[in-house]
Amino acid sequence: MDPKHPGKVALVANCLLNQNAKVCEGARYRGVVSPVVEALRSRGYVLVQLPCPELAFAGARRWWAVYEQYDTPAYRAHCRRLALAIAPLIEGYIRNGDEVILIGLDGSPSSGVRFTSSQRDWGGRPNHPEDDWEIVPRRGIWIEELEAELARRGLPPIPATGWALDMGRFDEAGSRRDLDEFLDGRP
Amino acid sequence: MNPDARGWRIALIPDALMNPSQQFRTALPDVVAVLETSGYGVLQLPPPGDHSLLLAVIADQVQEYSHHGYAVAAIGVRGVPGDGLHWRRLAPLLRNRRVALPPRHIIRSDVDAVAEGQRLATWLGNYDLPVEEQQRWR
Repeated sequence: MDPKHPGKVALVANCLLNQNAKVCEGARYRGVVSPVVEALRSRGYVLVQLPCPELAFAGARRWWAVYEQYDTPAYRAHCRRLALAIAPLIEGYIRNGDEVILIGLDGSPSSGVRFTSSQRDWGGRPNHPEDDWEIVPRRGIWIEELEAELARRGLPPIPATGWALDMGRFDEAGSRRDLDEFLDGRP
Repeated sequence: MNPDARGWRIALIPDALMNPSQQFRTALPDVVAVLETSGYGVLQLPPPGDHSLLLAVIADQVQEYSHHGYAVAAIGVRGVPGDGLHWRRLAPLLRNRRVALPPRHIIRSDVDAVAEGQRLATWLGNYDLPVEEQQRWR
Protein backbone atom coordinates (compact mmCIF):
# COMPACT_ATOMS: atom_id res chain seq x y z
CA MET A 1 0.00 0.00 0.00
CA ASP A 2 1.17 3.50 -0.77
CA PRO A 3 2.75 4.81 2.43
CA LYS A 4 1.68 8.36 1.58
CA HIS A 5 -1.98 7.44 1.23
CA PRO A 6 -3.54 5.68 4.20
CA GLY A 7 -6.01 3.09 3.09
CA LYS A 8 -8.32 0.42 4.44
CA VAL A 9 -6.97 -2.99 5.38
CA ALA A 10 -8.98 -6.05 6.39
CA LEU A 11 -7.17 -8.89 8.15
CA VAL A 12 -9.12 -12.02 7.31
CA ALA A 13 -9.08 -15.48 8.83
CA ASN A 14 -7.21 -17.90 6.60
CA CYS A 15 -10.21 -20.07 5.78
CA LEU A 16 -12.25 -17.12 4.50
CA LEU A 17 -9.98 -17.24 1.46
CA ASN A 18 -9.25 -20.95 1.62
CA GLN A 19 -11.87 -23.39 2.81
CA ASN A 20 -9.38 -26.23 2.42
CA ALA A 21 -8.05 -25.11 5.80
CA LYS A 22 -11.27 -26.17 7.50
CA VAL A 23 -11.59 -29.26 9.65
CA CYS A 24 -13.19 -32.23 7.83
CA GLU A 25 -16.89 -31.54 7.11
CA GLY A 26 -16.44 -27.85 7.93
CA ALA A 27 -15.97 -26.45 4.41
CA ARG A 28 -19.09 -24.66 3.07
CA TYR A 29 -17.39 -23.32 -0.07
CA ARG A 30 -14.93 -24.88 -2.51
CA GLY A 31 -12.22 -22.31 -1.84
CA VAL A 32 -12.90 -18.59 -1.48
CA VAL A 33 -15.78 -17.37 0.71
CA SER A 34 -16.96 -14.98 -1.97
CA PRO A 35 -19.55 -12.95 0.03
CA VAL A 36 -16.82 -11.86 2.45
CA VAL A 37 -14.41 -10.91 -0.32
CA GLU A 38 -17.14 -9.04 -2.16
CA ALA A 39 -18.26 -7.15 0.96
CA LEU A 40 -14.71 -6.02 1.71
CA ARG A 41 -13.53 -5.25 -1.81
CA SER A 42 -16.65 -3.26 -2.67
CA ARG A 43 -15.85 -0.97 0.26
CA GLY A 44 -12.26 -0.47 -0.79
CA TYR A 45 -10.49 -2.75 1.68
CA VAL A 46 -7.31 -4.53 0.75
CA LEU A 47 -7.20 -8.05 2.16
CA VAL A 48 -4.46 -9.56 4.30
CA GLN A 49 -4.86 -13.27 4.94
CA LEU A 50 -3.87 -14.50 8.38
CA PRO A 51 -2.15 -17.88 8.73
CA CYS A 52 -4.31 -20.85 9.76
CA PRO A 53 -3.12 -21.89 13.23
CA GLU A 54 -4.83 -25.29 13.34
CA LEU A 55 -3.64 -26.62 9.99
CA ALA A 56 0.09 -26.54 10.64
CA PHE A 57 -0.35 -27.66 14.25
CA ALA A 58 -2.92 -30.46 14.28
CA GLY A 59 -2.91 -31.10 10.53
CA ALA A 60 -5.26 -31.33 7.58
CA ARG A 61 -6.78 -34.54 9.02
CA ARG A 62 -7.35 -33.19 12.51
CA TRP A 63 -10.36 -34.05 14.63
CA TRP A 64 -12.92 -31.45 15.52
CA ALA A 65 -11.97 -29.65 18.72
CA VAL A 66 -13.23 -26.99 21.10
CA TYR A 67 -11.53 -24.08 22.86
CA GLU A 68 -10.61 -26.10 25.94
CA GLN A 69 -8.74 -28.72 23.88
CA TYR A 70 -6.59 -26.13 22.11
CA ASP A 71 -5.96 -24.15 25.31
CA THR A 72 -2.55 -25.73 25.88
CA PRO A 73 0.94 -24.26 26.31
CA ALA A 74 2.15 -25.88 23.07
CA TYR A 75 -0.73 -24.56 20.96
CA ARG A 76 -0.44 -21.08 22.43
CA ALA A 77 3.31 -21.10 21.70
CA HIS A 78 2.52 -22.11 18.10
CA CYS A 79 0.00 -19.28 17.82
CA ARG A 80 2.55 -16.83 19.22
CA ARG A 81 5.01 -17.88 16.49
CA LEU A 82 2.36 -17.19 13.86
CA ALA A 83 1.59 -13.85 15.51
CA LEU A 84 5.28 -12.91 15.38
CA ALA A 85 5.28 -13.81 11.67
CA ILE A 86 2.34 -11.62 10.67
CA ALA A 87 2.57 -8.81 13.26
CA PRO A 88 5.28 -6.79 11.46
CA LEU A 89 3.05 -6.53 8.39
CA ILE A 90 0.07 -5.46 10.50
CA GLU A 91 2.19 -3.00 12.46
CA GLY A 92 3.36 -1.43 9.19
CA TYR A 93 -0.20 -0.80 8.09
CA ILE A 94 -1.25 0.67 11.45
CA ARG A 95 1.84 2.92 11.73
CA ASN A 96 1.10 4.11 8.18
CA GLY A 97 -2.26 5.36 9.39
CA ASP A 98 -4.32 2.75 7.56
CA GLU A 99 -7.70 1.81 8.96
CA VAL A 100 -7.21 -1.85 9.95
CA ILE A 101 -10.05 -4.23 10.80
CA LEU A 102 -10.17 -7.95 11.55
CA ILE A 103 -12.67 -10.48 10.23
CA GLY A 104 -12.39 -13.76 12.10
CA LEU A 105 -14.49 -16.89 12.10
CA ASP A 106 -17.16 -17.01 14.76
CA GLY A 107 -17.59 -20.32 16.53
CA SER A 108 -14.02 -21.38 15.79
CA PRO A 109 -11.91 -22.49 18.78
CA SER A 110 -8.98 -20.62 17.21
CA SER A 111 -10.25 -17.81 14.98
CA GLY A 112 -13.48 -16.90 16.78
CA VAL A 113 -13.95 -13.18 17.47
CA ARG A 114 -17.39 -12.74 19.00
CA PHE A 115 -17.91 -16.42 19.75
CA THR A 116 -15.93 -19.60 20.20
CA SER A 117 -16.92 -23.23 20.73
CA SER A 118 -16.67 -24.71 24.19
CA GLN A 119 -17.19 -28.07 25.88
CA ARG A 120 -15.24 -28.94 28.98
CA ASP A 121 -15.69 -32.72 28.74
CA TRP A 122 -14.44 -33.22 25.15
CA GLY A 123 -11.39 -35.48 25.01
CA GLY A 124 -10.43 -39.08 24.54
CA ARG A 125 -12.25 -41.23 22.00
CA PRO A 126 -13.95 -38.91 19.47
CA ASN A 127 -17.46 -40.33 19.68
CA HIS A 128 -19.51 -37.41 20.90
CA PRO A 129 -22.98 -36.90 19.42
CA GLU A 130 -23.49 -34.10 16.91
CA ASP A 131 -23.78 -30.54 18.12
CA ASP A 132 -23.16 -31.18 21.80
CA TRP A 133 -20.73 -28.29 22.09
CA GLU A 134 -21.67 -24.84 23.28
CA ILE A 135 -21.13 -21.47 21.65
CA VAL A 136 -19.80 -18.96 24.15
CA PRO A 137 -19.01 -15.25 23.75
CA ARG A 138 -15.24 -15.33 23.73
CA ARG A 139 -12.22 -14.97 21.41
CA GLY A 140 -10.62 -18.10 19.97
CA ILE A 141 -7.09 -18.99 21.10
CA TRP A 142 -5.39 -17.67 17.95
CA ILE A 143 -7.17 -14.34 18.06
CA GLU A 144 -6.28 -14.00 21.74
CA GLU A 145 -2.60 -14.57 21.00
CA LEU A 146 -2.59 -12.30 17.94
CA GLU A 147 -4.20 -9.46 19.87
CA ALA A 148 -1.74 -9.98 22.73
CA GLU A 149 1.21 -9.69 20.33
CA LEU A 150 -0.18 -6.50 18.79
CA ALA A 151 -0.73 -5.06 22.27
CA ARG A 152 2.89 -5.93 23.19
CA ARG A 153 3.93 -3.76 20.26
CA GLY A 154 1.96 -0.86 21.69
CA LEU A 155 -0.66 -0.97 18.95
CA PRO A 156 -4.29 -0.03 19.57
CA PRO A 157 -7.00 -2.73 19.57
CA ILE A 158 -8.25 -3.60 16.09
CA PRO A 159 -12.02 -3.38 15.49
CA ALA A 160 -13.10 -6.94 14.82
CA THR A 161 -16.01 -9.16 13.98
CA GLY A 162 -16.48 -12.71 12.80
CA TRP A 163 -18.10 -14.47 9.86
CA ALA A 164 -20.43 -16.91 11.61
CA LEU A 165 -19.38 -20.08 9.81
CA ASP A 166 -18.82 -22.35 12.79
CA MET A 167 -21.89 -21.64 14.88
CA GLY A 168 -23.67 -24.95 14.28
CA ARG A 169 -26.23 -23.95 11.67
CA PHE A 170 -24.67 -21.69 9.03
CA ASP A 171 -26.86 -18.81 7.86
CA GLU A 172 -25.09 -17.11 4.96
CA ALA A 173 -27.63 -14.31 4.52
CA GLY A 174 -27.60 -13.54 8.24
CA SER A 175 -23.80 -13.59 8.29
CA ARG A 176 -23.72 -11.19 5.37
CA ARG A 177 -26.14 -8.81 7.10
CA ASP A 178 -23.97 -8.90 10.22
CA LEU A 179 -20.83 -8.16 8.25
CA ASP A 180 -22.48 -5.35 6.27
CA GLU A 181 -23.69 -3.77 9.52
CA PHE A 182 -20.22 -3.98 11.04
CA LEU A 183 -18.58 -2.47 7.95
CA ASP A 184 -21.17 0.25 7.44
CA GLY A 185 -21.11 1.14 11.13
CA ARG A 186 -17.42 2.07 10.84
CA PRO A 187 -16.71 5.82 11.20
CA MET B 1 -23.72 -32.45 9.20
CA ASN B 2 -23.35 -30.82 5.82
CA PRO B 3 -21.35 -32.47 3.07
CA ASP B 4 -17.92 -30.95 2.86
CA ALA B 5 -17.54 -28.52 -0.06
CA ARG B 6 -13.76 -28.12 -0.20
CA GLY B 7 -12.20 -28.12 -3.68
CA TRP B 8 -8.85 -29.74 -2.71
CA ARG B 9 -6.93 -27.24 -4.86
CA ILE B 10 -5.08 -24.19 -3.60
CA ALA B 11 -3.15 -21.37 -5.28
CA LEU B 12 -0.33 -19.35 -3.80
CA ILE B 13 -0.79 -15.81 -5.05
CA PRO B 14 1.17 -12.56 -4.65
CA ASP B 15 -0.22 -9.66 -2.67
CA ALA B 16 -0.20 -7.78 -5.99
CA LEU B 17 -2.88 -10.14 -7.35
CA MET B 18 -4.96 -10.16 -4.18
CA ASN B 19 -4.83 -6.38 -3.96
CA PRO B 20 -3.93 -5.00 -7.39
CA SER B 21 -2.65 -1.44 -7.48
CA GLN B 22 -4.48 1.15 -9.57
CA GLN B 23 -1.84 0.64 -12.27
CA PHE B 24 -2.55 -3.11 -12.43
CA ARG B 25 -6.30 -3.08 -11.85
CA THR B 26 -7.36 -2.69 -15.47
CA ALA B 27 -4.34 -4.43 -16.97
CA LEU B 28 -4.82 -7.72 -15.12
CA PRO B 29 -7.64 -10.23 -14.89
CA ASP B 30 -9.41 -10.49 -11.53
CA VAL B 31 -7.38 -13.48 -10.41
CA VAL B 32 -9.29 -14.00 -7.15
CA ALA B 33 -12.55 -14.21 -9.14
CA VAL B 34 -10.99 -16.74 -11.54
CA LEU B 35 -9.74 -18.81 -8.60
CA GLU B 36 -13.14 -18.72 -6.98
CA THR B 37 -14.88 -19.82 -10.18
CA SER B 38 -12.28 -22.56 -10.62
CA GLY B 39 -12.86 -23.83 -7.08
CA TYR B 40 -9.43 -22.95 -5.72
CA GLY B 41 -8.60 -21.68 -2.27
CA VAL B 42 -6.03 -18.93 -1.83
CA LEU B 43 -2.79 -18.74 0.11
CA GLN B 44 -1.73 -15.10 -0.04
CA LEU B 45 1.95 -14.22 -0.10
CA PRO B 46 3.18 -11.00 1.51
CA PRO B 47 4.12 -7.88 -0.47
CA PRO B 48 7.78 -7.47 -1.51
CA GLY B 49 10.16 -7.17 1.45
CA ASP B 50 11.75 -9.34 4.11
CA HIS B 51 9.10 -11.65 5.52
CA SER B 52 11.27 -14.66 6.44
CA LEU B 53 9.20 -15.97 9.32
CA LEU B 54 5.90 -15.48 7.49
CA LEU B 55 7.24 -17.35 4.46
CA ALA B 56 8.32 -20.21 6.74
CA VAL B 57 4.82 -20.30 8.21
CA ILE B 58 3.34 -20.42 4.71
CA ALA B 59 5.79 -23.18 3.73
CA ASP B 60 4.60 -25.21 6.74
CA GLN B 61 1.04 -24.94 5.46
CA VAL B 62 2.01 -25.91 1.90
CA GLN B 63 3.86 -28.91 3.33
CA GLU B 64 0.80 -30.07 5.21
CA TYR B 65 -1.45 -29.69 2.15
CA SER B 66 1.02 -31.32 -0.23
CA HIS B 67 1.42 -34.37 1.97
CA HIS B 68 -2.33 -34.91 2.42
CA GLY B 69 -3.86 -34.97 -1.03
CA TYR B 70 -4.21 -31.30 -1.91
CA ALA B 71 -3.04 -29.81 -5.20
CA VAL B 72 -1.03 -26.61 -4.68
CA ALA B 73 -0.18 -24.25 -7.55
CA ALA B 74 1.46 -20.82 -7.70
CA ILE B 75 0.24 -17.85 -9.75
CA GLY B 76 2.80 -15.10 -10.29
CA VAL B 77 2.59 -11.73 -12.01
CA ARG B 78 5.19 -10.27 -14.34
CA GLY B 79 6.35 -6.80 -13.42
CA VAL B 80 6.65 -7.42 -9.69
CA PRO B 81 10.00 -8.49 -8.17
CA GLY B 82 10.26 -12.28 -8.35
CA ASP B 83 6.80 -12.34 -9.97
CA GLY B 84 5.50 -11.62 -6.46
CA LEU B 85 6.09 -15.19 -5.34
CA HIS B 86 9.21 -14.72 -3.14
CA TRP B 87 10.45 -17.80 -4.99
CA ARG B 88 14.13 -17.43 -4.05
CA ARG B 89 13.13 -17.64 -0.37
CA LEU B 90 10.11 -19.90 -0.66
CA ALA B 91 11.55 -22.60 -2.93
CA PRO B 92 14.37 -23.59 -0.50
CA LEU B 93 11.91 -23.58 2.40
CA LEU B 94 9.71 -26.02 0.47
CA ARG B 95 12.64 -28.19 -0.58
CA ASN B 96 13.78 -28.40 3.05
CA ARG B 97 10.30 -29.70 3.87
CA ARG B 98 10.48 -32.29 1.06
CA VAL B 99 7.71 -30.60 -0.85
CA ALA B 100 7.71 -30.78 -4.64
CA LEU B 101 7.70 -27.21 -5.94
CA PRO B 102 4.19 -26.17 -7.03
CA PRO B 103 3.78 -25.57 -10.77
CA ARG B 104 3.84 -21.86 -11.63
CA HIS B 105 1.68 -19.86 -13.96
CA ILE B 106 2.68 -16.27 -14.65
CA ILE B 107 0.13 -13.56 -15.47
CA ARG B 108 1.18 -10.80 -17.87
CA SER B 109 -0.09 -7.24 -17.76
CA ASP B 110 0.99 -6.34 -21.30
CA VAL B 111 -1.59 -8.52 -23.06
CA ASP B 112 -5.39 -8.55 -23.14
CA ALA B 113 -6.68 -9.03 -19.59
CA VAL B 114 -9.72 -11.06 -20.64
CA ALA B 115 -7.57 -13.46 -22.65
CA GLU B 116 -5.15 -13.73 -19.71
CA GLY B 117 -8.08 -14.59 -17.43
CA GLN B 118 -9.19 -17.32 -19.82
CA ARG B 119 -5.66 -18.65 -20.11
CA LEU B 120 -5.45 -18.82 -16.32
CA ALA B 121 -8.84 -20.53 -16.01
CA THR B 122 -7.79 -23.18 -18.54
CA TRP B 123 -4.50 -23.76 -16.76
CA LEU B 124 -6.22 -24.06 -13.38
CA GLY B 125 -8.86 -26.38 -14.80
CA ASN B 126 -6.22 -28.73 -16.15
CA TYR B 127 -4.20 -28.94 -12.96
CA ASP B 128 -4.74 -31.47 -10.21
CA LEU B 129 -3.00 -34.39 -8.56
CA PRO B 130 -2.87 -37.72 -10.42
CA VAL B 131 -6.15 -39.64 -10.05
CA GLU B 132 -4.65 -42.39 -7.88
CA GLU B 133 -3.33 -39.74 -5.48
CA GLN B 134 -6.77 -38.08 -5.34
CA GLN B 135 -8.45 -41.40 -4.61
CA ARG B 136 -6.03 -42.08 -1.80
CA TRP B 137 -6.99 -39.01 0.15
CA ARG B 138 -10.29 -37.50 -0.95
